[in-house]
Amino acid sequence: MADAADELVYTRVFDAPRELVFRCLIEPEHLTHFWGPAGVSTPLETIKVDARPGGVFETMMVNDADGSQYPVRAVFVEVTEPERLVWTEPDSGVTTTSTLRDLGDSRTEVRIHQVNVPAEYRSPEAQAGFRTSLDRFAAYLAKLG
Amino acid sequence: MTAQYRLDATFAALADPTRRAMVERLARGDATVNELAAPFAMTLPGISKHLKVLEQCGLISRTRNAQFRPCHLERAALDSAVGWIEENRRIWTERFEKLDRHLRDIQSTDQTRGDDDRG
Repeated sequence: MADAADELVYTRVFDAPRELVFRCLIEPEHLTHFWGPAGVSTPLETIKVDARPGGVFETMMVNDADGSQYPVRAVFVEVTEPERLVWTEPDSGVTTTSTLRDLGDSRTEVRIHQVNVPAEYRSPEAQAGFRTSLDRFAAYLAKLG
Repeated sequence: MTAQYRLDATFAALADPTRRAMVERLARGDATVNELAAPFAMTLPGISKHLKVLEQCGLISRTRNAQFRPCHLERAALDSAVGWIEENRRIWTERFEKLDRHLRDIQSTDQTRGDDDRG
């Protein structure tokens, strides 16, 4: 049944060398081009990145239609160029791990793994529960009733 | 309880298989503690502990005045958890789309400009 996916996992393969993809994830000049989802901008001047453990990772997403702002403050936990980035959002307890895999042939797989539960809640029992994939569980729950 | 704390607590509550089974049962209708306990080889105090966790994060409510205090699933709390996950998935999907385009753009520019921005 469930694969090894814990919590929320998003994976995508990009046609670019790993070093370049990694730079895109930590350099404001790149982040400003893609960080906001559709219809949302992330102005260059709102992006602060200090890519080292304990350094800040701050962004402000701005809705193009109505100007509403979504500031997100995070702190880097781990920065291992060019393969691994971990940051945590103190306000929400969300920890995001980005793993970059060199597929050869100038292609890179990016895997985003998010743990959205503060560590103090994560008993071994709870972790085992999450391995059944919270993502799939949500789809199931949405169908109930 | 703040909205974010409540959401965290909701995910923590749903991380447990027994509590998920209880939520699934309650999705079919209200149930008493005894009814909820029936499928599990667990003592009533054990069951009560799980119910307390579900109650604290707002996923279920219990009638205060009835003798058997049936448990009721609060769909809004469940919806907010499901909504958070769906919104999060949308953000990353669209972010990846944009990153894909951005990588194509800068790589086609790089070829004409050379390696001068590689520090």
